[in-house]
Amino acid sequence: MTTDAKQPNPEFAKKVVEAGGKTLNLCFQCGTCTGSCPSGRQTAFRTRKLVRRAQLGLKDDIMGSDDLWLCTTCFTCYERCPRGVEIVDIIMALRNMSVREGHMAPQHKKIAQLVSKSGHLVNLRDEDKAFRKKLGLRETPPTVLEKPAGLEQVKKICQITGFDKLVAGD
Amino acid sequence: MAMPNAELKDNGGGTEPKIGVFVCHCGTNIGGVVDCEKVAKAASTIEGVAVSKDLKYACSDLGQDEIQKAIKEEGLNRIVVASCSPRLHEFTFRNCVEEAGLNPYFMIMVNLREQCSWVHMKEPEDATAKASDLIRMGVERSKLLSSLSPREVAVEPTCLVIGAGIAGIQAALDVAQKGFKTYLVEKEPSIGGHMAQLDKTFPTGDCAICILAPKMVEASRQKNLEILAYSEVVDIDGYVGNFNVKVRMKPRYVDEEKCVGCGVCTEKCPVKVPNEFDVGFGMRKAIYVPFPQAVPLKYTIDAENCRQLQGKKCGACAKACINDAIDYEQQPRDLDLKVGTIIIATGFDTYIPMKKGVYSYWESENVITAMELERLINAAGPTGGHLIRPSDKTEPKRIAFIQCVGSRNHKLGIQHCSRVCCMYAMKNAQIIKEHDPETDIAIYYNDIRAFGKGFEELYHRIRMDYGVEFIRGRPARLTTDPETGNITIRAEETLLAKITERDFDLVVLSVGLLPSQGTMPIQKMLSLPTSPDGFLQELHPKLRPIETAIDGVFICGCAQGPKDIPDSVAQAKATASEASTLMIRSKHVVEPLTASINDELCVGCGLCTDVCPYGAIELQDKDGQIKAVVTEALCHGCGTCAAACPQRAIDQLQFSNRQIMSEISAALSHEKAAGGE
Repeated sequence: MTTDAKQPNPEFAKKVVEAGGKTLNLCFQCGTCTGSCPSGRQTAFRTRKLVRRAQLGLKDDIMGSDDLWLCTTCFTCYERCPRGVEIVDIIMALRNMSVREGHMAPQHKKIAQLVSKSGHLVNLRDEDKAFRKKLGLRETPPTVLEKPAGLEQVKKICQITGFDKLVAGD
Repeated sequence: MAMPNAELKDNGGGTEPKIGVFVCHCGTNIGGVVDCEKVAKAASTIEGVAVSKDLKYACSDLGQDEIQKAIKEEGLNRIVVASCSPRLHEFTFRNCVEEAGLNPYFMIMVNLREQCSWVHMKEPEDATAKASDLIRMGVERSKLLSSLSPREVAVEPTCLVIGAGIAGIQAALDVAQKGFKTYLVEKEPSIGGHMAQLDKTFPTGDCAICILAPKMVEASRQKNLEILAYSEVVDIDGYVGNFNVKVRMKPRYVDEEKCVGCGVCTEKCPVKVPNEFDVGFGMRKAIYVPFPQAVPLKYTIDAENCRQLQGKKCGACAKACINDAIDYEQQPRDLDLKVGTIIIATGFDTYIPMKKGVYSYWESENVITAMELERLINAAGPTGGHLIRPSDKTEPKRIAFIQCVGSRNHKLGIQHCSRVCCMYAMKNAQIIKEHDPETDIAIYYNDIRAFGKGFEELYHRIRMDYGVEFIRGRPARLTTDPETGNITIRAEETLLAKITERDFDLVVLSVGLLPSQGTMPIQKMLSLPTSPDGFLQELHPKLRPIETAIDGVFICGCAQGPKDIPDSVAQAKATASEASTLMIRSKHVVEPLTASINDELCVGCGLCTDVCPYGAIELQDKDGQIKAVVTEALCHGCGTCAAACPQRAIDQLQFSNRQIMSEISAALSHEKAAGGE
């Protein structure tokens, strides 16, 4: 075997299965997922290839790659797969493993940081408040935004689970 | 000194048990995990065990010789063979001990393979301990065995074949030719089945009806063979050699004796409806034969669409018929048959694509199934073999086949490969190319399975000589242009990892094969087991491929699983041979392992009659008291009644309550001993 060949790693594939990708080996590479993928229409993301890499355990190919973060989790592939492969679950498992190894798409990281700091995915802007008022809603929703004690609890959860450290940095 | 055999046979239960234990290595199947030598040694210390040995292969001649020698030399009267499942070798070892002069029911098997070594491959020590436990349990049960004698039942020399496709026709012909009276029941107006609908057959390109029609005619002329077309089996009871069958002959509203098949009636009939035989593409009249080669060539009135039978004024066919064969008053007629053997050849249905599915079968006219294509390219079909597409009747120039539709699909719960779709798609591609070499054909596939005789050669031919394109990828979505009716297929061509969108004029779905609707009622009547794919289950996947769990009932063709014509014919011939063997012998031996009812304990509650899956128990008046009674030839010895009986009045012979309790005690005695250490 040549040294530059990508080495399949069955151990890694097994870890993916254990981490939630239990249907991984049902895939027979028909490509229904790729053809169904709305992200693949705009990008070079090929769902089938990602699943194949996971089957072979091509860890280095997966962990640092952008592909992992191009899935919008729309579940179209999941719905159409004739083999019942839970593709999104596999991608989520791979993302969790990847983050633990320190790889995370910058955009995902920013959003995660926002959650751990503010308890929300999206900030409440002034125009949002105005719009809510127009609709007859309270300007601030009854979430951590209104209850600072709640925000402290969210932060505590992020701290205890190690989520804040996991997503820290730029 | 050997005991006299006669005494053993008559009085086995009373004699002091002298037990032989034989632990089989089964090569490395058991021996690779379980320490057989140690297990045999441990068994030799159990009370009552006179001989305990380990054997490399107990089922081999050498192994059997050892067992027989020990029986004769040591005077053994109980044999425990610790090896594989009784399903595999119970008969082998029963015969073995019987040859040595022992009643065969003094032999029991302990399953060390399926229930021990195979499931505990990674725990050899625990497996060895478990093997010892299992053997100790078997030894204790063996002490309580009694001698049993098989019963013989007479076999009626008549055969019933259900379903008259190619498999049923072949089976019926073969049985009848051997001299046995044979009934061939078919629910459609004509025999012939799906094969009559096909254009050509793979891989040789023989015209389907050209090779089938002579067989159909032969069946109609064969002495001993009675075709009951347009009829359905509505009830079966009885048992091997003695089945009572009720066949309902549906009214054709045409007197079969008088109809000569001239077809004047159909010319005069004013009602036109889609012909089922052409999968809805061609039309037929309300009085019709499904196709010109129909056997029997007798006309049938479709009551739902006949004006006269729907209470409107018509009578055109009756006026036209010169033989006065039309009979609007005809009623269903029930026939009671007594048959000794049954062959089930109820065939398959093709998968019907989902509504609102991504392949838009129901939404797009130009997406058709393979069976519809068969009729559209068939010279005897509605277009005379001239391929046109449904939406605008034009010749399609770009055709796609999509493979594995309704096969290998876990989402649909259809896991099996239908085995014929790869080849029929290639065969149809070839026919289309022969008609018009300018047609572009693409086959979207996942895997190509060209495993049969001449299959690879066809695969080679249509790539090399006909230029059919193979695209590895399963289409993700089909969209139809509402104006042109053309279809765009979006798919990943996986070998290039490239997403393509290609336009086609016609798309053919290679639909899979499913168990037929007609199979289910028969399966229920006979309580036949099915395999996970829903097809009828053969008794053994390799060695008893056409027998079923019910003695005297055989299966062939696609009722057993998807298969092509040569395989169906071969299997049909096998069922004919097997059924004939049974009828030639004229007697059949029935297992004595039945339920046995203790009248003293039975209170006639009837719970057993409710739970028995074979209808083998009835309540009867016995001297003024209601008691349960077992029909032994119907009883399969499943033990359900024995487990259900609240009075413990039912014993399953060779698995009596006492015997099972002795096993449980033996298992628990070990626990006690272990706890005390």
